[in-house]
Amino acid sequence: MKYKSQAVAMPYFIAAIGLFVAQIVFGLILGMQYVVGDFLFPEIPFNVARMVHTNLLIVWLLFGFMGAAYYMVPEESETELFSPRLALAMFWVFLIAGALTIIGYLTVDYATLAKYTGNDILATMGREFLEQPLLTKIGIVVVALVFLFNITMTVLKGRKTAISVVLLLGLWGLAIFFLFSFYNPTNLVLDKYYWWWVVHLWVEGVWELIMAALLAFVLIKVTGVDREVIEKWLYVIIALALVTGIIGTGHHYYWIGTPEYWQWWGSIFSALEPIPFFAMTVFAFNMVNRRRREHPNKAAVLWALGTGVMAFLGAGVWGFLHTLAPVNYYTHGSQITAAHGHMAFYGAYVMVVITIISYAMPILRGRACNSPKAQVLEMWSFWLMTIAMVFITLFLTAAGILQVWLQRVAEEPMSFMAVQDQVALFYWMREWSGVVFFIGLLAYVASFFVKGKEQPAGA
Amino acid sequence: MNHDIRSANRRSTVLWVLLLAATVFTWAVGEGGSGGAAIAALLLGVAALKGAAVILDFMALARAPLLWQLITLGWLVLVCALIGLAYWKGMP
Amino acid sequence: MRAACPPLPAPRTPPTLAGDLAIWIFILAELLAFGVFFIAYAFARANNPELFAAEQLALNRDAGAINTLLLLTASYFVVRAVHAAEAGQSRHGARWLVAALGCAAGFVAIKIGEYAAAFSAGISLSSSTFHMFYLSLTFFHFMHVLLGMVILGALWLNARRGLYGPHNMNGIESGAAYWHMVDLVWLILFPLVYVIR
Ligand code: HEM
Ligand code: HEM
Ligand SMILES: [Fe+2]
Repeated sequence: MKYKSQAVAMPYFIAAIGLFVAQIVFGLILGMQYVVGDFLFPEIPFNVARMVHTNLLIVWLLFGFMGAAYYMVPEESETELFSPRLALAMFWVFLIAGALTIIGYLTVDYATLAKYTGNDILATMGREFLEQPLLTKIGIVVVALVFLFNITMTVLKGRKTAISVVLLLGLWGLAIFFLFSFYNPTNLVLDKYYWWWVVHLWVEGVWELIMAALLAFVLIKVTGVDREVIEKWLYVIIALALVTGIIGTGHHYYWIGTPEYWQWWGSIFSALEPIPFFAMTVFAFNMVNRRRREHPNKAAVLWALGTGVMAFLGAGVWGFLHTLAPVNYYTHGSQITAAHGHMAFYGAYVMVVITIISYAMPILRGRACNSPKAQVLEMWSFWLMTIAMVFITLFLTAAGILQVWLQRVAEEPMSFMAVQDQVALFYWMREWSGVVFFIGLLAYVASFFVKGKEQPAGA
Repeated sequence: MNHDIRSANRRSTVLWVLLLAATVFTWAVGEGGSGGAAIAALLLGVAALKGAAVILDFMALARAPLLWQLITLGWLVLVCALIGLAYWKGMP
Repeated sequence: MRAACPPLPAPRTPPTLAGDLAIWIFILAELLAFGVFFIAYAFARANNPELFAAEQLALNRDAGAINTLLLLTASYFVVRAVHAAEAGQSRHGARWLVAALGCAAGFVAIKIGEYAAAFSAGISLSSSTFHMFYLSLTFFHFMHVLLGMVILGALWLNARRGLYGPHNMNGIESGAAYWHMVDLVWLILFPLVYVIR
């Protein structure tokens, strides 16, 4: 660790992993409810479990991004963090607000929660991913602003690198687009229209900048390739991401009551969105092939390469699969969407956060890398989780194709619920893959506790 | 070296004049008001030639590695060919 | 550049790309975007050739042709600027860049006039498939002209300070390649949208 204040990243990373475990537990509950409808009913209804699963995902990724920023920015800026105390305070605010929200979801019914948290003052709840009560949303904004202030001041007082500028751009964009979650027009079309400004412009816009910055940082560290080379790639990737991703929002505007030209704009621009993801794959492999040193943290290198490949598969390939308007006409809102959502989120954002954790955590714990034994276990967890996710995606894709066929294409279309019965076998297989994923995750957590001969810090 | 640059200048100037002339030609055909397969093919061909001139000389791909020449010229040929195909499909 | 450079530039025997690899990757992505857009236009037209032809006839072909001439000329001037830099006359090249910027500004002015006429005639993105394409394609290109002008402006500032020379061509060649790309796609856009029926 080069700067003392980088240490504040540690609680953020620990919280991220803890919430990740909880997210997957709720994923397993959901998967079970898909095949055994009254599983855990009435304690945890499907809609609540789903909300907890997706909200936990977003929250732990945000913990991961913030931890990453607190770790990276001092090192990039070559100066201590503007205020480590503030960073630590915000950690507790965010953790407690998050925990209270989840407890609220699980103990009070949603309408009551809405009543007690001021939803009748400003109605923002009830929309996928943005279910948080008004109070929580305000809390998120406060935490984000204080965080951004802290990070920005650090960059301003220190060295400015391409990586920290791109990271800042992405994080500011994340906060700014979140503001649209406060805007909830009564017109349903407009509501959806701006809802995507949060959801799509996050994952296919500003988060891509964050991802590219994290990946670039780790690659510089583990490969020793010249900063200049890596920065050039960074610029290409973000330019491509923004050129394709912003207008690419149109791939969600095909059938919601927006003008018809979105079918053209959305198809054309989003068809190009895989390019920046592909560039990231090439980038990761190219840098590792040109490496000037053998970094002892093999696990971090593996995660970095894995991110390149899986993000391209999940976002690029599975995204392209249903992004053209004539295809999306049939696949919209089917299990194909869920397949893509899972692999893209895992491949891009889950994996990039694990990459930085894998690189930074040993250093935060005072060594260059974990012992070979711990690394082997971590690599096992990489393969278990990644392969399990590939299978989850494949089973959901199979279920989705069958669903589209039976429900929307066949001569005599079947009803939604009748089709669900037909594809139940795939849902069972998804659940079993989920169990393997969970085992992989437990192995990942265990790898932090494996002792063994370690290398001293300093690399 | 300076001699090379002077001859490069001369070549670019000639191409520039030819490109202007080709543009006027395209415009004149448009004003003539005629359509049909032959005219469409002719104008697409002229556009492709103009594009090739810009790629090879202005963008200096004539002295770039073969791969890059294939990629850029390939783009030009593919786009023009697919446009041609679509026009052919849309013929009455 | 470094003092260790040889006094004479070595002749470029091995084939090299003029400009930075990164800008060329970006140019390829741009070409792909425009290419897909052109092909989409052509196939959409195939479904309704009569409507497309009728509305296409109402476009201002004179404006389109003059704009083509302007872009080509700007491109030629940029070529001269690059050659001047290669000959070690960066400041001389700056003047060619000003001329190129002038042509580009002419393009922008004419295009704005065209849009004004279209909007006052009630043409919008939703008025027909042809108009959707006409406005989207030309506007997408228009934004690229503006970006290209920013880049040419940056080249001009550097060239005026005598920054470019036979040993430092990367910046000016990269910017020039981008500008030529803007020209290149218009060379297809003009006949496709304005002329070919
Ligand atoms: C890492 C990046 C990405 C993530 C995390 C992601 C995630 C998601 C999620 C969660 C959904 C479901 C949203 C909902 O309706 O609740 C979705 C939908 C969609 N995504 Fe992505 N995505 C990514 C990149 C892409 C890319 C690059 C493309 C296109 C090439 C794409 C195309 C689509 C389309 C077309 C839909 C709508 C599906 C439908 O109509 O039901 N996505 N994405
Ligand atoms: C890191 C791993 C995971 C990520 C990133 C993730 C992400 C997501 C996302 C983004 C959604 C919303 C999808 C949409 O709107 O289309 C979702 C829903 C869901 N997830 Fe996960 N998930 C993960 C693991 C799991 C696991 C292991 C299971 C179960 C085996 C699971 C089961 C579900 C189910 C059943 C839904 C509800 C789908 C629906 O509403 O039809 N997830 N998850
Ligand atoms: Fe999207």
